[in-house]
Amino acid sequence: MRNLPVKGPLLFLIMVFVPFFLSIFYVNLLTEIFILGVFALSLNILVGQTGMVSLGHAAFFGAGAYAAGLAAIHVSTNTFLSIAAGLLAAFLLAVIIGLFSTKANGFYFLMLTLACSQIVYSIIYQWRTVTGGSNGLTGIAPIDLGANIVLSNQVWVYYFILVVFTIVLFLINRFLHSPLGSVLIGIRENEERMKSIGYNTALYKNISFIIAGTLGGLSGSLYVIFNGFISPAEVYWTASGSVLIMVLIGGAGTLWGPVIGAAFIVILETLISSYMENWMMIIGAVFIIFVIFAPDGMVGIFNALKKFFVQPKKLEVDADEPIIKPIKQETKMDG
Amino acid sequence: MSTLLLQLINGFSYGFLLFIITCGITIVFGILGVLNLAHGSFYLLGSYLGYSLIMKAGLPFWAALAAVPLIIAVLGYMLETIILRPTYKLGHLSQVLLTFGLAYIFHDLFAILWGKNMLVVDPPPALNMSIQLAGYSVPAYRIALIVIGLAIAIFLWFFQEKTKWGAVIRAGLSDKEMAAGLGVNIHLVFTFVFVLGSLFAGVGGVIGSPILGAFPGMEFQILILSLVVLVVGGLGSVSGTLIASLLVGFVETFSRYLVPELSLIITFALMAVVLVVRPQGLIGRRV
Amino acid sequence: MSIESVTKKTGGLLMKSFKRNAFLLIALVLLLSACSSGAINTTTKEKDKDTKTNTEEKGTIKIGALLPTSGVYASLGENLLNGMKLYFEQQNWEVAGKKIEIVQEDDESDPQVGLRKLRKLTDQDQINILTGTVSTAVAYAIRDEVDKRKLPYINSHAGGNDLTRAKRSDYIWRSSFSSWQIGHSMGEWAYKNIGKKIYVTAADYAFGHEVAEAFKAAYTAAGGKVVEEVYPPLGNNDYSSYLAKMNRDDIDGIYAFYAGSDAVRFVQQYNQYGLKGKIPLIGSGWLTAEDVRPQQGMSPDGITASIFWDYSISTPENKAFIKAYEKKYNSRPSIESAEGYDAAMIIAETIKKLNGDISDSAKVVDAMSSIKITSPRGPISFDKETHNVIQNLYIVKTSVVNGKTENKVIDTIEQVVDPGK
Repeated sequence: MRNLPVKGPLLFLIMVFVPFFLSIFYVNLLTEIFILGVFALSLNILVGQTGMVSLGHAAFFGAGAYAAGLAAIHVSTNTFLSIAAGLLAAFLLAVIIGLFSTKANGFYFLMLTLACSQIVYSIIYQWRTVTGGSNGLTGIAPIDLGANIVLSNQVWVYYFILVVFTIVLFLINRFLHSPLGSVLIGIRENEERMKSIGYNTALYKNISFIIAGTLGGLSGSLYVIFNGFISPAEVYWTASGSVLIMVLIGGAGTLWGPVIGAAFIVILETLISSYMENWMMIIGAVFIIFVIFAPDGMVGIFNALKKFFVQPKKLEVDADEPIIKPIKQETKMDG
Repeated sequence: MSTLLLQLINGFSYGFLLFIITCGITIVFGILGVLNLAHGSFYLLGSYLGYSLIMKAGLPFWAALAAVPLIIAVLGYMLETIILRPTYKLGHLSQVLLTFGLAYIFHDLFAILWGKNMLVVDPPPALNMSIQLAGYSVPAYRIALIVIGLAIAIFLWFFQEKTKWGAVIRAGLSDKEMAAGLGVNIHLVFTFVFVLGSLFAGVGGVIGSPILGAFPGMEFQILILSLVVLVVGGLGSVSGTLIASLLVGFVETFSRYLVPELSLIITFALMAVVLVVRPQGLIGRRV
Repeated sequence: MSIESVTKKTGGLLMKSFKRNAFLLIALVLLLSACSSGAINTTTKEKDKDTKTNTEEKGTIKIGALLPTSGVYASLGENLLNGMKLYFEQQNWEVAGKKIEIVQEDDESDPQVGLRKLRKLTDQDQINILTGTVSTAVAYAIRDEVDKRKLPYINSHAGGNDLTRAKRSDYIWRSSFSSWQIGHSMGEWAYKNIGKKIYVTAADYAFGHEVAEAFKAAYTAAGGKVVEEVYPPLGNNDYSSYLAKMNRDDIDGIYAFYAGSDAVRFVQQYNQYGLKGKIPLIGSGWLTAEDVRPQQGMSPDGITASIFWDYSISTPENKAFIKAYEKKYNSRPSIESAEGYDAAMIIAETIKKLNGDISDSAKVVDAMSSIKITSPRGPISFDKETHNVIQNLYIVKTSVVNGKTENKVIDTIEQVVDPGK
C-alpha cells in the first residue's frame, strides 16, 4: 500500500470498474467512504503530520457543507460553484479559528477547537431562517457540472467523487513530500528545535490548520453534492470525535491510514448495526484494542506484517515512498 | 429585585451542582494528566445505581449516597489497575482515547441494563418540598445542594492542604519524578487519585439524579459540561474548580434569563476566551 | 506544479501500470460482462421493478422500518416497533395471502445514517413499503431518495410540517400527525377555557418552533394575546431561570411544548418552583405522555394537553389495543406504540385493497389515499391533497387517581385537517 505511485493507478482502475459488478448499495457506500476519507485525510494533516490533535474538525465539514448547500439553493446549481463556496467558507473559518487556536498546544488546542466547533454548531443550529435549524438543509439539487450535464444517477456521482478523491489523495501525497510537509513533520517531532533553527512555527501551524480546514470543507461540500442534505448532527462534536477515531484506527501520519479508518468505521457501523443494537460497544472495544495493541493503526499492522513476511527479500524502495513515521504517541498532551 | 435574588440562588445551586459533578474529573486530570472521557459514564452509572437502590430496592436516599460512590470507586480501582496502568507508558493521548472507548462501551451497557427511558430519582423525603424565599418558592433540594457542595469543597480543600495524603498528592502534582525520587510510590498515588475521582463521580451521580435524571446519552452532556468547567477553572485545584463551576453556573443561569437564544454559544465562548487569554485557567498553573 | 504536468504524470503512470497489470484488467472486463447485477445495470435500466416483483412472487411483502434503536429517540423507536409487531402478530404475519416481514434498521436519529440505512433497505433487502423515522431531520433527508425510487412510504412519527407541504411527494403519506395539528388544536380551546393572556415556551428545535407557531396563530386568531415566549435549548437540564421569567401575575397560563427528558424536568421544576397551582400549564400530549408521567411523580396533576391518542380514550378499538399490548409487553402502550400499530394497520389495509399485489407504486399510493379506518385513536383517513392524516385531537387533563397520575379525555376536536401551506 505504501508504494502508492505504482499501485495507485491500478487501484483507481479497479474502483472505476466497481459499479459494473457491485450493487448500487455498495457503490453508494464506497462513495460515502471516499467523502469521509477526504474528511479523515484533512484531519490527518493536523493530527498525523503536524501533531495537533483537534476535536473540532466537524466545524469545517459543516461550514463547507452548508456553504455549498446554500450556494446550490440560492445561487446556482453548478457543482463547481458549490464546491468553491464550500472551500471559501471553510477557508475563512479556518483562518479565523486558526488565528488563535494554533497558539495553544496539546490539551489546550484540543479544548479550543472543541469550543470553537461547538460555537459553529450553535450558530448553525440557531440560525433557523438560513440553515433550517435542527431539520437541516434539504432538497439540494443533484450534481450539475455545467453545460447541461446533470448527474442524477448515483453511479455518475460515484465517478465524480472518485475523481475528486483521487486528485486529493495525489495532492496530499505530493504535499507530504514537499518542503512544507517536512517542516510540519519537524514541528510534530520537536517544535522547539524547529523554532531554534529559525522556522516561524506559529506560521507553519497556521498554514497546516488552514489547509486541513479547507480540505475538510471540500469533503463537506462533496457530502452535500452526494446526499442532497446537511443537518446539524454532522457538525456536532461527536462527528469530530468519530473522524478522529477514523484517523487513529487507520493510522495517523500515514497516507492511506485515514482512508482505511473511514472505510472500517463506515462498514462496521452499517453492517453491525443491522444485526445487533449494541454496535457502539463493538466500536468502543475495537477502538480500545487498537489503542493498546496497535497504536500505529491498521497501516501499522499492515507494515508490521509486511516486514514479518517479506523480511528475507530486500524491499524495493520506491523513490516516492512516504518517509514519515507514524505519529509518536507522546504527543503534547502534557501541554 | 426579588427575581434577581431568585436567579442568584439558582446560579449558586446550579454552580454547586456543577462542582459536585465535575470535581472528580479535575482531580484525575490534575494529577494523572489523564483526561478521563469516561467521567460522564461514571457519573451516569452513579445515577443509575442510585435509581436502582432508591427507587427499586427502596433504600433511603442517604444510604444510597453512601453505597453508590463506593461501588463506583471499586470499579474505578479495577479499571485503573487492569486497563489504565499497563498503558501509562503509551502516553497521555492513548489513555484519553482509551477512556473514550470505555465511554462507548458503557453507553451500550447502560441501555441493556436500565433501558432507554428517562429515569428520575426522588429527592430525600425531608427535602422533597419547596421553601418560600423572597416571595418565590424554591425547592429545598436546591438549597441543600449549596450546602452539600460547600461541604465537599471544604473536605477536599482540607484533604489536599492539611493531610499527609494531600501533601503526597500535591507533591505528585508539582513534580512526579521528584516525588517518586523521594520515595513516594507514585503508582499508588495514581491509583488512589483515580479511585478518588471515581468516588466523586459516583457522589455526583446520586446527588444530581433528582434534578437531572438519567437517560442514555446523558453521559456525553455531562462530559462536555465537565470539560468546560475543567478548562475554565484550571487544572487540579479545588478552588479553581469551585470558582469555575460557580462562574459557569452564573453565566448559564443569567444568559438563559437575559438572552435565551444565545445561552448555548455563551458558555462555549467563555471557554474559548479563557483558553485564549488565560490557558492555565482562572486559577491554576500549566501542567 | 501545473495541472498539465499532473495529468501527464498520472497518464503516464496509468499507461505503465496498464501494461503491467493488463491481465488483471482483462479479467475485470470478463467479470463485468458475466455479471449483470452491477450498479450500472440496475440504475441505468431501472431494473428495480423486476426484482421487486421477484420477491412478491415468493409471497412475502417486506416492510422496511427505519427506526432508531440507539441515540436520543431510542425508546420512541422501540415503542413504534412494538406497536407494529403487535398488529402483524394479531394478523399471524399474513395479509391477503402474503407473508409479512419487517426489516428494521437503526437510523440513530442521524440523517446521514438514516439515508445510508434507507439505501441498504432498498438495495440490499429490497423492501416493498417503507415506514418509520422518529426524527424529522431523517425524514427530510430521505425524502428525495424515496421520491426518486417511487417507494411507498408511510411516515409513522416525524411531524415536520413541510413533509406534507413544500416537500410533499406522491409516495409519502403520513399516518402520525403534523406539528401544526398538535399546536393548532390547543389554540382556540385555550382561549375559551384558560384565558386571554398566555406565555409560550418550547424546546428550541424545529418541532418545538412549529408547534408553538401553530398554537400562537390559532390562539391569537381566537382573540388571545401571547405575552412573551422563550425557547430553551433541546435537552436543557435546568429550567429554573426560565421558570423565574414565567412566574408573573399578568398571565393566565403557560403553553409548553416539551417531550422526553425535557418534559420530565420541565414539569417537575414547574411544580418545585411553585408555579403549579398559581399559573395553569397547558401543552402538547408529550408533556404528560404515558411513558414520562411515571418519572414526574405528582407534578403533572392539573396539566391540560392536546394529543391524537391517549390511554384514556374509551373506544372499544382502543380498549382492545391496550389489552393486547399490555398482555404482550407487560407495560402500558405509549403514544408511539399507538402510532406504530396504526401504521401497520394502514399498510395491511392497503395490501388487502390490492389483493396482495403491490408491485405498482402508483396503485399502492392510490389505494392508500382512500383508506378510512377506525384505529385506537379514532376514525382516521388521509387528505388526498397533502397526504397528511385527518384525525381527531383530544384535550386530556391529568389528575391524581389512587396515588398515581392518570390522563382523562375532557374534550374532542373532531377531524383536524392540516391546511397544507
